[in-house]
Amino acid sequence: MRYFKNPNIDFLGKRKLFVILSITLIIACVLITLIEGVEYGIDFAGGTEVAVQTTNPVATDQIRTAVSSAGLTGVEIKSFGEDNQYLIRTRESANAPELISNALTKAFPNEKITILKVDKIGPKIGSELRMQAFWAILLAVIVMLIYLAFRFEFIFGVGAIVALVHDVVLTFTIAVTLNNLGIVNLEVNLSILAAMLTVVGYSVNDTVIIFDRIRENKERHKGMNFIKLANLSINETLSRTVNTVGTTLLALFSLYILGGPVLQGFALIMIIGIILGTYSSIYIASAFVIWYMEKIKKIDLETGFREVIGVKPE
Amino acid sequence: MKRYFGKILLVVVPVIAALVLLYPTYQASQLEQKERQAIAQAKKAGNSSDSLEIMEKFKKQYGEALKTAKARRLKLGLDLRGGMYVTMEVDVVKLIEESAQNETIDEIFKDVIAKTRKEASASDEPALNIFQRNFNNIARPQGKSLLNYFDVGDVREASEEKIIASLNESIDKAIDQAQEVIRQRIDQYGVSEPNIQKQGTRRIMLELPGVTNQDEMRSLLQTTARLEFKLVRNYKEIVQAFYKIDKLLSEQIKRGKGFATADPTTMLDTLKKDTTKLAQKSDTTKVDTTKGNQDTVKDPYAGLPPEEAQRRYALDHPFTTLFSTFFVPGKNQNIIPIYYTSDQFPEGEYIFRIPKDSIGKFQVLLNRPDVAALIPADLEIVIDAKPDTRIKQNQNIEIYDFYALKKEPELTGDVISSARASFDPTTNQPIVLMSMNTDGAESWARITGANLQKRIAIVLDNRVYSAPTVQSKITGGNSQITGMANAEEARLLEIVLNAGALKAPVQIIEERVVGPSLGDDSIRSGLNASLVAVILVVLYMIFYYGLGGAIADFAVILNVSLVLSVLAALGGTLTLPGIAGIILTVGMAVDANVLIFERIREELDHGRSMRSAIDEGFRKALSAIMDSNITTFFTGAILYYLGTGPIQGFALTLMLGILGTLFTAIVVTRAIIELLMAKGATSFDFGQPKIKSN
Repeated sequence: MRYFKNPNIDFLGKRKLFVILSITLIIACVLITLIEGVEYGIDFAGGTEVAVQTTNPVATDQIRTAVSSAGLTGVEIKSFGEDNQYLIRTRESANAPELISNALTKAFPNEKITILKVDKIGPKIGSELRMQAFWAILLAVIVMLIYLAFRFEFIFGVGAIVALVHDVVLTFTIAVTLNNLGIVNLEVNLSILAAMLTVVGYSVNDTVIIFDRIRENKERHKGMNFIKLANLSINETLSRTVNTVGTTLLALFSLYILGGPVLQGFALIMIIGIILGTYSSIYIASAFVIWYMEKIKKIDLETGFREVIGVKPE
Repeated sequence: MKRYFGKILLVVVPVIAALVLLYPTYQASQLEQKERQAIAQAKKAGNSSDSLEIMEKFKKQYGEALKTAKARRLKLGLDLRGGMYVTMEVDVVKLIEESAQNETIDEIFKDVIAKTRKEASASDEPALNIFQRNFNNIARPQGKSLLNYFDVGDVREASEEKIIASLNESIDKAIDQAQEVIRQRIDQYGVSEPNIQKQGTRRIMLELPGVTNQDEMRSLLQTTARLEFKLVRNYKEIVQAFYKIDKLLSEQIKRGKGFATADPTTMLDTLKKDTTKLAQKSDTTKVDTTKGNQDTVKDPYAGLPPEEAQRRYALDHPFTTLFSTFFVPGKNQNIIPIYYTSDQFPEGEYIFRIPKDSIGKFQVLLNRPDVAALIPADLEIVIDAKPDTRIKQNQNIEIYDFYALKKEPELTGDVISSARASFDPTTNQPIVLMSMNTDGAESWARITGANLQKRIAIVLDNRVYSAPTVQSKITGGNSQITGMANAEEARLLEIVLNAGALKAPVQIIEERVVGPSLGDDSIRSGLNASLVAVILVVLYMIFYYGLGGAIADFAVILNVSLVLSVLAALGGTLTLPGIAGIILTVGMAVDANVLIFERIREELDHGRSMRSAIDEGFRKALSAIMDSNITTFFTGAILYYLGTGPIQGFALTLMLGILGTLFTAIVVTRAIIELLMAKGATSFDFGQPKIKSN
């Protein structure tokens, strides 16, 4: 089986167009996120969240009235998987689970109320977890930058990190926007964080594969124009990219469709992140290195590229 | 063949390792199914003796195997099997408040505390620092010093620094006390496989599988502990009461009423037959702990064959065969086993020992109103908190002492001002030094004076931690407790005594409950989704890379099995994020194989022979595989160290998966390909278009 025979697609020729597209998209998504705000899940916001199941579907308004009348503030009701499963959230954290279950039993005497799960997070824990998440991502980025700078030239490390930041910011803001638009239920919680970190790993992984090929081709085709060299490397790894992304997406789509409410958010973030990660390895990471050499280092790409990305002396 | 022996080993050894390590998981699930069947059968059985028989048969046949399998199997996290997850934190503000002397607390102090509480809930700064700052700002301008509120014992040596130092010490100790109290309560509540861990210096993390009654658990966790000193009354009157209980129960059995207890689950603790076994078990301890002296006991079963005698004795004494009874003739004399063959018992002190397995049944019986009525009204039966260390060390069985205690406590723990574990300088034995405040010391002198050579039990939360004998009248409030088996036991007693001095206040700061039905649902959908994902990936690889793809599939599945088996061997738990980590692993492992195969196909396109293309392919793909996996491994490691609970589960499987990927993709896949190429083959199906045939 073979999809491409000696592909020779000019990926980088249109790099400016894609860079402009990416920047526009980032600005748009960041703006929307800033205006609409981020909806933090219970893990980061603190409060109580109770998932309940009734025997038959009931109106969410009735649930809201019942729970609010029990004296709880900031009540939100969402659906949780099935038609008859609801997620009830309140800012209180004291004895909210009991209050909610009592209120529901009273309001719906004919329904059997089953508590599916309870999450009760004190306000301190919430802010701690937020800080933890922030440090985890920051530290991961720094460690990768160090590793890549050590394995490749420093500017390649920076290129990989630029692509990574592109992926993380876009994935995050797209997720937040989708949630704000009410298309999917994607609040920022611990499993979304895990997914974001996986995107971090994947994004770098993908970029590394292409950079690895550039490093190798540089030796094989000494003196080749850097843009051509990068394009050749992207083409040579294209088959791998398609197959790996394809199998990973296959796995993620089955998780998204069959994984139930708990895995769904995780899978969706990964799907967005992996598509973006593949795209950014080609158009952002390589384009950044080209831009840096052209504009900052003022290197003639026809002749002088070796001074910048030259192989370290053995 | 010899040349390939090493390669065969590389393939076979990991497969066997994975099978061996995962077998207990399979076995446990099979046995649990059998257990469920047995319980269902037992419930259906017409009369109680039949159902007892069924359960007994199951226990005998599979009991041990199930226990070992359960210990070694891959454990599922709370999100997959349902249960309660709680994080508790020492409430430092409350601890400061409670450390102050009650009578001195005024409005100024209350102000300081209220302000501190408010600030502490929103800040990461140590609460004690916040308290000091607020105290300096509010109380000090009004002419107050810490000395006005806190008692540090000797007035001449009192200083503010000392008070702060002692508060700091209390805060540090509070977490140990809270952990001990909670551990004991969870034990008594009967949670199976609880996980209780200290997190940092202020927090305790609890995982309680299967617990769904959150209200009950919450109050259980947050009630403060009660420390009491109670007189031990292991005398003739309690032994006689036990004798009467035997009579009552054996008559009920003979009348056919059986032991039907209110709780249907105790059916598992089948009674009638068990007692025989227990009698034998108890007998071994008796023989081990005494030296002869059997002739003091008159034997009404004389003349019967030993086994028959034992069976008859057990039938006649359904209660007292649950434990062993010994008589203490005097100091430095061997203790004598006591049999309940007549109601004549010697005057003096007794010792009771009960094996761990019997405690549940023992307590169920004691709670029955008709049985409880036979125990003298001023006495209660209290069991040790821990099994006897020496017996556990020597014979590896868990035997607990239990005591008849005077219900009314002589003294409560709040009189203790401090307790410290130490060593006796002359004998080098572990000791605990305990001092009391002035009020306590006065009562203590009176109590010890009146009970010379008698035992006083130290009871925390209705469990006995130590029952030392009073050697002399203790005036001045400073006591020395000896007789601990080791330093660890002394340290535990120190924690317990301090728990009386200071009720370590803990509060729940995080609580997650997963209902059993959601657990089932998420297992089912998680498993289904993973299964479909794996099947799709497997088919795709064969579709694109032919035989090479099939080998890669084998390597990927081996990789997942290795991750699961290492997880089982490390005693880790598989959580939902953990499953996500495994799926990511599948992606990474596939990627590694894709990189290798693409490289091999490229080399073939360049006109290399199959054999050299394989060599080159593996060689050239290596740097890309290493770099990409190492960067992802870093992410996993950072997540593992910075993350908590669920995130850690994800990170752990991810890291294990990456190690597995490197091993299976680079080593195992290659070994298989080379074995298949061994007989001088010049072609191999990597899914490449078949232009060149050979």
